[in-house]
Amino acid sequence: MNPVTVHRRHYEDLRVGEVIDIGRTTVTKEMIVTFAREFDPFPFHLDEAAAKASLLGGLASSGWQTAALSLRMLVDSFLNTVASMGGLGFSDLKWKAPVMVGDTIGGTATIAALRRSRHHPERGIVTLDFDIRNQKGEAVMSMRLANLVEVRDPSVPLDGAA
Amino acid sequence: MTRWFEDIVIGEVFPLGSHDFTEAEIIRFGRLYDPQYFHIDPEAAKFSHFGGLVASGWHTVSVGHRHMVDALFAEEDRLRSLGKEPGVSGPSPGVNKMQFKVPVRPGDRVTYTLVVTGKRPSNSIPGWGLLFNTIEATNQRGETVYHAELVGFSKLRDYKMPLRLRLLMALTRLPVLGKLLSPTG
Repeated sequence: MNPVTVHRRHYEDLRVGEVIDIGRTTVTKEMIVTFAREFDPFPFHLDEAAAKASLLGGLASSGWQTAALSLRMLVDSFLNTVASMGGLGFSDLKWKAPVMVGDTIGGTATIAALRRSRHHPERGIVTLDFDIRNQKGEAVMSMRLANLVEVRDPSVPLDGAA
Repeated sequence: MTRWFEDIVIGEVFPLGSHDFTEAEIIRFGRLYDPQYFHIDPEAAKFSHFGGLVASGWHTVSVGHRHMVDALFAEEDRLRSLGKEPGVSGPSPGVNKMQFKVPVRPGDRVTYTLVVTGKRPSNSIPGWGLLFNTIEATNQRGETVYHAELVGFSKLRDYKMPLRLRLLMALTRLPVLGKLLSPTG
């Protein structure tokens, strides 16, 4: 028994189709520049003039920051309320529109699939589809995330759930 | 990389260097972007299936991205030192696949390697090409930490705008027609 997660929702408590409202975050210039200095120091993430001349058309957040902020919102709204065992990865991450200084981003994550791990019966795999939009309702990012969640009763055969 | 689209060679391997992950920076990134107990609390993390503190996958990926950006800048300097004009890299449209394999623990050294796997001219942005790259991150024991399949933009050196597009752009500069033709007008 894991004392950290024992009272949280487990794999058995999740349902395909559940829509998680992950909330909203306003992205400031300071946030953009701080992240870019450490992880993505392209001029179009650091300097307003260089950003205006680039494909982005203005100072915009690193796509990795948009993704990390979306993850943070998912942790607060969902992953820290379930018996999460960490991420397996993601696919089809699309940066659809730049996130500019002052934009407010947020949206939903929808449970698209649930299955038990064949090799580790105590692990369930939850697949989440992100739909991240700005304050104008424009899509800025989508991705499909795979995350592990503890199975409360691993002795139940795989068939029913897999 | 920071080369003109035409100069990018499929199959070329770019070593991106290594990074040593400390407990302090794992916790700092975790608190900001991925505050799950096994990323921020070394004691509580012992109860997880990891058995201890591990870095957020998004942290190891962000550090890998930084190494790629540094390699692009280094390539730009190298080309200039040879008297050549470097190409232009643009922002990325996305990531096709990211697989987190083995967790990164405090004290691990992660080494990043980029391989160019494909390229084609962009259909949506004239004058730019799409690059397809993989990044393989491995730890000091040679285990794969993550495998990524990335997409990037690179500018074409020899691009000539088709007559149809040049005509359209000239027309949008006329005050009246510009209002009718431009998508935001």
